[in-house]
Amino acid sequence: MAEKSTPLARPSWLQALLSLVVPGLGQAVSGAFSRGFYILLSVVTLSGLAVFAAAQRPRYPDYSLSFHAYLAFVAESAALLVFLLAIYWLVRRYAMRTEFARNAATPAFVVLVIIVLGITAPAMIDTVLSAAELKKLYALTSLLTAFVTVAIWAWNIFDAAHLRSSERAPGMGTFYMLLIAGILVLGTRIVQINPEKAIREYKDTGVILSRIVWPWKVAFDYSESELVATADIQAPCPPGATPPPVAQPKEGQPWVSVTPTCGALSKRDSTGKPIFGTLLSIKGGGFKPNKKVHIQWANPLGDAFTPRGFGPTDIPVGPDGTFTTQLYIPDVTIPSVAKGPQIHQLRIVQRGAAQFTGKLSKEMKLALQAMLESIMMGLMATAAGIVLSVPLSFLAARNLMSTLHTTTQGFVGGVIGLVGGAYLGKLAGDWLTPMVGGLEKAPILTFSIYLVLVLGLAILAYRLLGRALTSAAEHLPAPVSLGIGIAGMALVGAVVGYLLGLGYAHGILGITRGTEGAVAAAPHTALLGAALGAFLGAFWAWRLGTSTTIPIGQMIYATVRLILNIGRSIEPLIWAIMGVIWVGPGPFAGFIALTIHSVAALGKLYSEAIESIDPGPIEALQATGANRLQTIVYAVVPQVMPPFTAFTLYRWDINVRMSTIIGLVGGGGIGFLLIQWIHQFQYEQAGLAVWLITITVATLDFVSASIREKMV
Amino acid sequence: MLVVEHLTKVYEDGTVALKDVSFTVEDGEFLVIIGLSGSGKSTLLRCINRLIEPTEGHIFWNGVDITQTSEAEMRRIRREIGMIFQHFNLVERSSVLTNVLTGRLGYLPSWWSLINYFPQAEKRRAMAALERVGIGDKAHNRADALSGGQKQRVGIARALMQEPKMILADEPVASLDPVLAHSILGYLETLNQEQNITVLCSLHYLDLVQRYATKVIGLRDGQLVYEGTREQIRNITDAEFKHIYGQEAQRLSVGG
Ligand SMILES: Nc1ncnc2c1ncn2[C@@H]1O[C@H](COP(=O)(O)OP(=O)(O)OP(=O)(O)O)[C@@H](O)[C@H]1O
Ligand SMILES: [Mg+2]
Repeated sequence: MAEKSTPLARPSWLQALLSLVVPGLGQAVSGAFSRGFYILLSVVTLSGLAVFAAAQRPRYPDYSLSFHAYLAFVAESAALLVFLLAIYWLVRRYAMRTEFARNAATPAFVVLVIIVLGITAPAMIDTVLSAAELKKLYALTSLLTAFVTVAIWAWNIFDAAHLRSSERAPGMGTFYMLLIAGILVLGTRIVQINPEKAIREYKDTGVILSRIVWPWKVAFDYSESELVATADIQAPCPPGATPPPVAQPKEGQPWVSVTPTCGALSKRDSTGKPIFGTLLSIKGGGFKPNKKVHIQWANPLGDAFTPRGFGPTDIPVGPDGTFTTQLYIPDVTIPSVAKGPQIHQLRIVQRGAAQFTGKLSKEMKLALQAMLESIMMGLMATAAGIVLSVPLSFLAARNLMSTLHTTTQGFVGGVIGLVGGAYLGKLAGDWLTPMVGGLEKAPILTFSIYLVLVLGLAILAYRLLGRALTSAAEHLPAPVSLGIGIAGMALVGAVVGYLLGLGYAHGILGITRGTEGAVAAAPHTALLGAALGAFLGAFWAWRLGTSTTIPIGQMIYATVRLILNIGRSIEPLIWAIMGVIWVGPGPFAGFIALTIHSVAALGKLYSEAIESIDPGPIEALQATGANRLQTIVYAVVPQVMPPFTAFTLYRWDINVRMSTIIGLVGGGGIGFLLIQWIHQFQYEQAGLAVWLITITVATLDFVSASIREKMV
Repeated sequence: MLVVEHLTKVYEDGTVALKDVSFTVEDGEFLVIIGLSGSGKSTLLRCINRLIEPTEGHIFWNGVDITQTSEAEMRRIRREIGMIFQHFNLVERSSVLTNVLTGRLGYLPSWWSLINYFPQAEKRRAMAALERVGIGDKAHNRADALSGGQKQRVGIARALMQEPKMILADEPVASLDPVLAHSILGYLETLNQEQNITVLCSLHYLDLVQRYATKVIGLRDGQLVYEGTREQIRNITDAEFKHIYGQEAQRLSVGG
């Protein structure tokens, strides 16, 4: 420490050499283990990502490069960098004597690197890649990644050389900058970010987009005055068939006459090209002059379509109201049940000006209904979420639960009571529910009876047995109560061990040895688990004796928190898929999904609100002799009302948002309509749904924000 | 009568907050606990109603060892022991009346709280308690709308609802100005003298101690280092003072 060394004095060549071979090794040898580790880790990560990006190649042949190209880039970058560094060093050493020049050297070098890269990059890409592989963007990212990796490597050598001789570790700013640059560049490629494509393909999108952006035409009904004339055609035309009569012109009415009235259908060959059938000559009259008529073909079931590709379908009408045209009989898939010749229909339609009626269209009505469905779904899920999550949140609040402790005896009594009570409840339910009709006839009543009996008896037995054993332990002689504790814990441990053993057999061995192996092993692992559990339980009980130290509150807290966390980390859309599997598609499935997620999310938010309250009032109420329930009602509840309300509003907001898209996976509501319309290319209708969603969410945003503002 | 025997408290992080503390408080005494910040005053007071579990030792309250009682029994004992706090510990968003009524919870069936029910008689008792501390007109205000002095009076009214035989007061006047300090301690003194309620109170200012205490104990680093009567504390020597508060301590006065 006494000798003052400048940062660049006397590089340590050995370390530099080590780091050249294995990045970070030199640093580690100098004692900076974590520094060395991070350097190695980042070089490995960058290379690994580059390999991964190369591995995308089979999936996206157009946009990926081979790893071989990447390696070539690494080699070229290294050569380039050595060359540049050499210039840099020479210039600094011999050409720059003034202070200014020395200070300017580094920025000048960076600029130089950029310029040289800019000039050489196209050349490098050209030499490494065949013309077919040349997709500039991704070639460039590969090159840049290679360059960054090499630069980090070089920096690492430089760092290793100077680490020991400098007084304190030099900053790692350059390193982090390079690392971040490398990751961002690679990210561009893995995500296939491609501005070129976005710009090039905008044109085709514009048309569809405009239909989505301003879809209001389909929101209303229009009355259309139509002139229609029809002619029956028989197809196919077996010999000896009696074709429908040729229609004759009628005065003052639109008419169409077709010859022949019997013919062969067009077909398609294996490539989809049409093989034309009979050519029809069509003549018509009685239409409005100087406007167009439209040709439609109706199959024997009456489904009409425009026969594109078999002749003109929009024909101008002359000044006298007549027209003539020709059309091949189109290819029509006839339902397999209908064999033999069928009667098709040619329709000539002339549309008059559409009249705005002011009535909502069928689609708009559907969309509005679905929107309402979504909003209510969000509302109901929020309500159910509140009801279910409030009790859970108290169990998941550390400050309330951490004070709950019990004796071994009380714990044993509680656990046995809980399980035994639940079992008794089930037995009672089995006996009672057939009288009301069972699950099939009266599902809700039966379920409620089970729920009440199982929960009620479990809690009752939990309290009674827990208390009985606790007070027994207080009054009985110490060895006896110790015995109770040990026996009870051994029992609990044995049961838990037994279950874990079974789980191990079926869950783990089932994978490695197959189902049969698991079944064979199960009795042994279960017994072993039970024995181990019993021993551990007994040992634990013996250690604890009769002290009040089992953190039952912490245990409940941890369990509830775990459940809430799992519920929250599964997205509502995934819950919705499960809901659809459970109750079938529709808003109920969406409701279930949103409710589960709301319970988990609200449970966590609520419990955190409880955890952050002022403990003073709780202490004060405990000091008056109030019990737990009273303390919670009078010291906790008033304090958590404002945050609870705020979180609830927030959740309501999220739920309505989610409810609009949960239909994408079958959860009902407007999302269901939206995805259907998109799949049917009905973009205007989809646009309506998008508009309704946007309006609803924006309104809701505004409403909940202003409510929240008022509350604060 | 309160008897504390060899009381020791070690917190979970290993801090020894009380070390082998023993003393006796006769009924009707106004006992003041003095000592530096961190000397263990709050810990001692909270051990007495077992808001904090003592690590070792015994506390006898009228012959019952409260370190050995069950939780239910402890709640019955707590009803007889009121407590008031430096930061009042009121439920700020509830009304003054509700805050006072909560002092009575130990006597009421717990399921009543689910429907927020208090009998009329208790409400009258709460009003009477508020009148006694002179803020009957504030009964329906929210607690956070009160001044510090008023809040502490609500705290006293809440303790009065328990019909306590003893009051534990943890620095009840530390966040109040000198005039209010005297008025609050005045209430405690009246209760002490007129109803023979034992008072255990921790205080910081020596002149307040000298004015109100009938008996004084001093804590230093969790150990009992001083025990004196009213006469002795009024004539405390510099040596004794420094023994409690440390060598650098200066006597401060709160005035009033
Ligand atoms: N919950 C706790 N966990 C760990 N240590 C604690 C806890 N509460 C208090 N202590 C420590 O115990 C010692 C005594 O604290 P206590 O609050 O009883 O002192 P005090 O005399 O009331 O101080 P003050 O005058 O500042 O209120 C202190 O060292 C404190 O840091
Ligand atoms: Mg204190």
